[in-house]
Formats: sequence, structure tokens, C-alpha cells
Amino acid sequence: MELIKTILIYAVLLGSLYLLISLGFSLICGVLGIFNLGYGITFVVAVYGMWFLMHTCGFGLFPAIAGVFVLQFLFTLGIIYYPIVKRYMEQEDFLLTSLLLVSLIVEELVNHVYPITAGVDIPTTILPGTLEVGGSTIPFQMLFIVVFAVLITAFFLFFLLKTRLGLKIQAVSQNHDAAQLMGVKVERVYIVSMILAVVPPTICMIVIAPVWSIEPTMGESLLQTAILVTILGGLGNLRGTTIASFIVGLISSSIAFLVNPRLVNVAILICVFLVLLFKPEGITKSESLW
Amino acid sequence: MVKIEHKRALLVIRFRDKKFEWPIETRYWRNPLLGVFGLAMLPLFFIGQPDLLSLVTTANIYAAIAIPLGWQITGIGRLNFGPQFFLGLGGYTAGLISSYYLWGPWGTLPVVILVGLVFGLILSPLTSLAKGLYFSLITLILPLIFLEVTYYFSIFQGETGLYGILPLISVKSITAEQLLACYFSLILMVIFLYVIHKVMTSRVGVYTAAINDDEEVASNLGLNIKAWKIVCFVVTSVMIAIVGWFAAHFYGTFAGVTFLPLSFMLKILLVVMIGGRGDVYGAIYGAYFVVLLEKVLTVLGTVNYIVFPLILMILLFTLPEGLYGIYRKHRYREYYPSIRVRKR
Repeated sequence: MELIKTILIYAVLLGSLYLLISLGFSLICGVLGIFNLGYGITFVVAVYGMWFLMHTCGFGLFPAIAGVFVLQFLFTLGIIYYPIVKRYMEQEDFLLTSLLLVSLIVEELVNHVYPITAGVDIPTTILPGTLEVGGSTIPFQMLFIVVFAVLITAFFLFFLLKTRLGLKIQAVSQNHDAAQLMGVKVERVYIVSMILAVVPPTICMIVIAPVWSIEPTMGESLLQTAILVTILGGLGNLRGTTIASFIVGLISSSIAFLVNPRLVNVAILICVFLVLLFKPEGITKSESLW
Repeated sequence: MVKIEHKRALLVIRFRDKKFEWPIETRYWRNPLLGVFGLAMLPLFFIGQPDLLSLVTTANIYAAIAIPLGWQITGIGRLNFGPQFFLGLGGYTAGLISSYYLWGPWGTLPVVILVGLVFGLILSPLTSLAKGLYFSLITLILPLIFLEVTYYFSIFQGETGLYGILPLISVKSITAEQLLACYFSLILMVIFLYVIHKVMTSRVGVYTAAINDDEEVASNLGLNIKAWKIVCFVVTSVMIAIVGWFAAHFYGTFAGVTFLPLSFMLKILLVVMIGGRGDVYGAIYGAYFVVLLEKVLTVLGTVNYIVFPLILMILLFTLPEGLYGIYRKHRYREYYPSIRVRKR
């Protein structure tokens, strides 16, 4: 009983974390219809950008948080969107290769400037200490992940379902050509989506940095998680992504507690394979964003 | 004995009562035999320089992966982001059997082919099931998961990798051994080149080109698309697994951390892209170019890890058809299937 309780608690914690990790990736999949393989690097830019602003430029905590968002927006538009995504929208092979190359370049650049020995430490602990629940110890910081996951998902839903710009984004995701004929400025929608997509990973990294291992190569494994969750949820459907995050969270925590933590990714991959075999379009059909 | 005479554009060689003609007009100089002869001469210049010999071997290995991969991308019409999964599979199969049971390279080869075949068949339904970019994504993740599995099970010996794998050729002189291994890699690459070239110019090559151009039209003309995709995927996967076998026995050690990460895959993909997509010979230019560039950039120290992808990125932007594409522009009448990756 105790074990089941622990597994369920961790399923919620990991599910929220996975949701924050994959929300942006899923949004880009749905609206732009591409796979942003440069998504993994946004996590690295979030942490190391913050460290750069605080440590090298001498910013305070709150100016640095604001600064890191500006940095992310500049990065995603100036390096990912305009030179690569816009240029190779229809040539997927070039798109994916150049996005991976950009990730590699930024990763190596970060590794050169701030190697793992640099001791990057982001002081964004909201509440120190741990919580004892059913025999397991959880840092308070992890609980904030759940709070932020709920808040951001709610914000995304409100924005996409209730605002005019959100409706335009939905329209483009449903039918690009029809939306353009109805007068939606598609490129503007793309830019807004690219900007929106970097918000969850940035918040996720700011919150999780104090309790997470920070290294320049961390983007790869996070991108891997985002890809798996997005495929499982049906590409680009936020409802599917939300459900898939918690399913993957449950699989992760059960495998980690019952079998071995190292087999978590293998188990998720097998699960995705099985879902693809019987339901090739994922849990929900990716016809619209919600 | 041998009599050589020059007749217009022909070089006529007479040997006893036999007559050989060799056209010396420039358009016939594209003869692949000349290129292979040039490549075969290359290691002779580097005798006694083990680092340069191993560079040539590495280039041959890259080309040997990129040649089948080029056909695979054409044949299944999708971008495979994880060819190194089969490389790892071949390498680890050969390494495990060789280091634990002390089997020689010729004993492990059939096992590697069998394992490649089985895994190729298991994964082959993906070519039809995983629509469009799903395939790219799943193949992208496969080697990364495999890497994690190698960390988990102690028989793979984690980051250290397997060691004590029996060498391909054992000769007393180290110089001779390196030279022979280099030629062995060249032979492997040339065999792959010959096979894939034969396939591409045969009826099967036309099938794959038709699938690549338009699946629906090809299907309406009576082509069993699913079957041909599976054949293409399995054959090329086995070929890549054989390269893994070679790498394991050549280096004597095999660690997934060298061959399975994204950075290695990027190199192979760039060999294909820079050499010219969908073209068998382009892969060789690409492989030698990438290896040479990597070697030259080592003078920069640690900065080369940033400069290397940067240069490749610039090349990708400026030469979309690859190095071979510059040449192909002058020979536009020859049909070469261009790879088109589709979203659906």
C-alpha cells in the first residue's frame, strides 16, 4: 500500500515535470507541423543564460529571470526561427539536420565557456527543505513543479481557447491554407507559437535547477522525453500531451520503484511502440490543438 | 609483348592477340575503377604513419555506412536518424561473442548478419506504420535508448566498452597489420559501393526511385510498396551491422559511447548530405571530406568542437546539393532519385 502511494505521488510529480518539458515541443508540432529538434537546447540556454546574466553580467535574481526570457525569445527567433525554420520549412531533412547542428554548436559553446567543473548553481529555491510522504522524501521545490505545470497549462488553455490570437493559432493548426485564406497572418502566428513554446521549458528549468543535475549536455535527454511524450499524445494535441505526460509519469515511477530506474526510458519507448502499433495517430487525433 | 598505340580518342593496348581499348576522352574519366585505384594508392603514401592510416580507415567506415544509408533513405522515402543503432548492434554482437567466447572475426560475422537481419525485420514494420516524420523521430531515439541499455547491463561494460576483441588480421609487423586493416576497410567499402550501385541501376533501383518519387503512383502501377520498403530497410540495416562488426574487430574495443550518441549520427548524416543525397559516389567524397576536416581542425584545440559543426552548417547552407551536386549540375540528364521526405 505504501509503495503504491509512493508510486502514485511520483507519477504526479514526474507527470507534471514531463508536461512542462513537452508542452512547447507539442505546440510547435501542432502549429508549425515540424519537429523542433533544437528544442533540447532551450533548456540549456535557460540555465546557462541565467548563470551568464547572474555570474558574468552581475544581474540580480529577478532581473536575471526577466533577462533569461528575453534571451530565450531572441535565441528562438534569431537563431532557430528566421535562419532555419523559415528557410527549410518544406525541406524536412535540411531542417532537422541544421536544427541538430545548431544544438550541437550551442552545446559545445556552453561546454567551452562553462564546463561541468564551472559549478553552475542557480539560486531559485523557493522553499528549502523536504516533505515526508508515505516513506518517501520529496523536495518542496518538486511540489512547485506541479503548481507551475497546472498554472502554465491553464494559461495555455485560456490563451488558446479564449483569446483572439489563440483562436488564430488553433485555426492555423487545423488547416494552414484555410486559415491563410480567412486572413490570418500565418507567419505572425508562427512567431507567437515559437515564443510561447519556450516559456514552459524556461520556467521548468528555473524551478528545477536547484534540485537537478546541470550539465551542458542535458538537452538531449530532455528532448528525448519531449519527443516520446509528444508522439504518445498524438502530435501537437495539448490534451493528448497532458494525458500522455501523466501516463509516462506513471510508467516511469512504477518502473523506477519496481524494476530499475535505468530501464525507465526503455519502458517508455516500448510503450510508445505498442501505442503506435495499435493506434498510429497517438492517444488523441492531432486534428486540433485541444 | 605489350604494344600501346594512340588512335584518335582511344588508347589501344595490344597484348599478344588480345586488344584492349581505353577511351581517353575526358568524359570517360569518370570510370569508377580509376577512383577506386586512386583510393587504393592512398594508404601506400601513409606507411609508417598510423594516425593517417587510421584516418583513411575511418573515412572508409563512414563511407561504408553512408552508401547503404543513401539507398535506404531513397528506398523508404524517410530520413533514418538512427543508422548507428545497427552499427552498435553489429559491433556489440561481434564484441560480446569475441571477447567472452574468443570467437574470431569470421566466426562472429554470420552471427552479426543474423542479428542484423532479425532486428531489421522486427523494426521494418515501422517503415510503413510510422507515418512521415514519426519514423525519423523513433529512429532518432532508438540508439539513445540502446546506449542507456548498455550502461545498465554489466555485460556491455558501460562507458569502458568491450575490450579484448580478436583482431581482423594478425600479422607480426604492426605496420603491415595497420595497412592490411586499411585495405580491408577499403575492400568492404568498395563491395558495398558495387552492390548498391548494381542495385540502384537495376530494376530494384527503379522500384525504390518510384517509391521515393510518389508512393501512390508506384502502388497504382502494381508495386508492393510495403514489401519493397521492408526489403530495402532490412538489407541496408544488415550492411550497416556488418560495418559495426568491422569496427569492433578493427579497433579491438567497442564502446557504445563512441558510436551511439547523436554527434556520431550527425557525422554520418552530414557525409550523406554533403556528399550529395541519393548518390552512391557522393558518400565517398563526403566521408573523406568530413574526416579530413575533423583532422585539420584538431590544431585549434578544444575550440574545434564548436568550429567543426559550424563549418558543416555553413556548407549545408551554401551547398544544398552537396559536393557531388556541383559536378552533377553538369550531368543533369542522368537520372538520380532525389530524396524527398514527406510529412504524411
